[in-house]
Amino acid sequence: MAVIEARSLGKSYAGKPAVVDLSFDVQPGSVTGFLGPNGAGKSTTMRLMLGLDKGAGTTTFDGVPFTSLDRPMHHVGALLEAKPFHPTRTARNHLRMLASASGIPARRVDEVLEQLGLSSVARKKPRTFSMGMGQRLGLAAALLGDPHTLILDEPANGLDPQGIQWIRELLRGFAAQGRSVFVSSHLLPEMALMADQLVVVGRGRLIASGPIQDFVRSSRRNAVLVRTPQATDLADVLRGRGATVEAVEPGALSVSGLDLETVGDVAFDAGIRLHELSPRTATLEEAFLEATEGAQEFEAHARPEPGTTGSTTSGEEAS
Amino acid sequence: MTDALRYEWARIITIRSTYWLTGLALAFAMLVAGAASWGFATEADGGGGSQAQLGLDLLGPWLGTQFARGGAPYFVGYLLAMIGILAWGHEYRHGQIRATLTTLSSRTSVWIAKYVVVNAWVAAVVSACYWVAVLVGVVWLRNYPADLVTGETVGGWGRAVLHAGLLCSLAMAFTGIIRNQTAGLVLLFLWPLAIENVITLIFFLVPRLREHEALTRFLPFGAGNRIHSDAFPNLGSTTFGDPLTWVGGLVVFGGLTVVLMAVSVVLFRRRDA
Repeated sequence: MAVIEARSLGKSYAGKPAVVDLSFDVQPGSVTGFLGPNGAGKSTTMRLMLGLDKGAGTTTFDGVPFTSLDRPMHHVGALLEAKPFHPTRTARNHLRMLASASGIPARRVDEVLEQLGLSSVARKKPRTFSMGMGQRLGLAAALLGDPHTLILDEPANGLDPQGIQWIRELLRGFAAQGRSVFVSSHLLPEMALMADQLVVVGRGRLIASGPIQDFVRSSRRNAVLVRTPQATDLADVLRGRGATVEAVEPGALSVSGLDLETVGDVAFDAGIRLHELSPRTATLEEAFLEATEGAQEFEAHARPEPGTTGSTTSGEEAS
Repeated sequence: MTDALRYEWARIITIRSTYWLTGLALAFAMLVAGAASWGFATEADGGGGSQAQLGLDLLGPWLGTQFARGGAPYFVGYLLAMIGILAWGHEYRHGQIRATLTTLSSRTSVWIAKYVVVNAWVAAVVSACYWVAVLVGVVWLRNYPADLVTGETVGGWGRAVLHAGLLCSLAMAFTGIIRNQTAGLVLLFLWPLAIENVITLIFFLVPRLREHEALTRFLPFGAGNRIHSDAFPNLGSTTFGDPLTWVGGLVVFGGLTVVLMAVSVVLFRRRDA
């Protein structure tokens, strides 16, 4: 079971840094989510890990770089493109071609097609495939060698809700067998359900890594919601204890910087009556947006400035 | 290396363009051989006499090369070079290269396997085209005093395979360098059919260049054609004389091919996929 160790990864395009001194680990038995805004360097990082892009640093899979692996499909399954296949080569032939390079028998091709729900279109040309079917075929290729590690770039793109649930269960099951999954996604609620660990990047640099709960817990959006008829008095007392207090509506305060028990005790000691005392936990999305604030490569402006013809800029990863 | 060869073999036999280009080459070879044989037979039947016999004696052994031995472009070679262009073109046009390099981690093996497998396919198809064309002629002209299979015929076969292999390798190298299938296809036809002819014309029209017009024999595709066309009545005298011998043509055209292949492999190993 492979530990992925990425060390000091770096890559520039025309002098502009895309990935900067990026180091992290991916542990077996876990799903590690890879998050970052558009242009943060996620896809570039994955390509660097697999030796597809030339750059600084090293990535090893159980101590071995990808380019030194014998028959890499048996070790690492990768999905980096939405439709990484020729549009007129049938799905089955595409997989047979990949299998031929790794000594994988034809029956394994059929197994994987069945597992991915593609048996009925096995002899069809992928140019007719929807985005979701294309993703399934890409996943089939990644799983073909029964690898111990999966590296997947946005595998849920184009999948319907059932497909997303299916891929979540697939990857969770894969990790439960003690294998490693490193997966990027923009679907943060989905990532919250799927990932155990996170690696968060912005502008090519590491912002955070570790268990997903720790990441969410570190958010300033975590707060205690208090309802009281003496909101002004309670706010003064809590601020005196170093808390940040915000009035969210008349008679309701959002308190951060103190835990729920302490807020209750402070109110009790001050003789202040409480009608509600409840924790408000930040979502992964809130924690992510907070952590990556100012780290977006491309920003959308909601309101055009007067006199301008357009204001929205967006883009894909610089690569 | 064996894995890379298996992969490339599976790649080439599971793509439709391999078959339609191969079929087109075979059909073209049969069509030209059939048309030429029909022409010879018609002329002989029409009382062409010694003229008809001269045509048979002179051109008959060139059926297999589709008259490239007489200086015509070897169209079968150009058709099959497209298989080489698509070998790299599909990798980059459809993002297949990343799937390839996550399946086979040795870039050098991938590069070598492409050249070996594609050239083996091209050599087999050129041979088939060549002998099918000869067979069409032998069957059609069996009742005429035609000597279609001579030592020259066998030599022409070897040169046809050699020229097609080099042409295909050059096209592959160029496509691998620019990583653009369309540009590869355009250049394959534009360079020999337009660029070299324009250069030759400029040498002919500009007085100061006219005295150096013989230098145009070193234009690579024209030199490559000498691999076929170093034959009577246009035999080269010395290797790099005017005209070049087939060995001279081989050195010039093959030299360019080797240089482009070297650039291609270096870039393939160094560049991002």
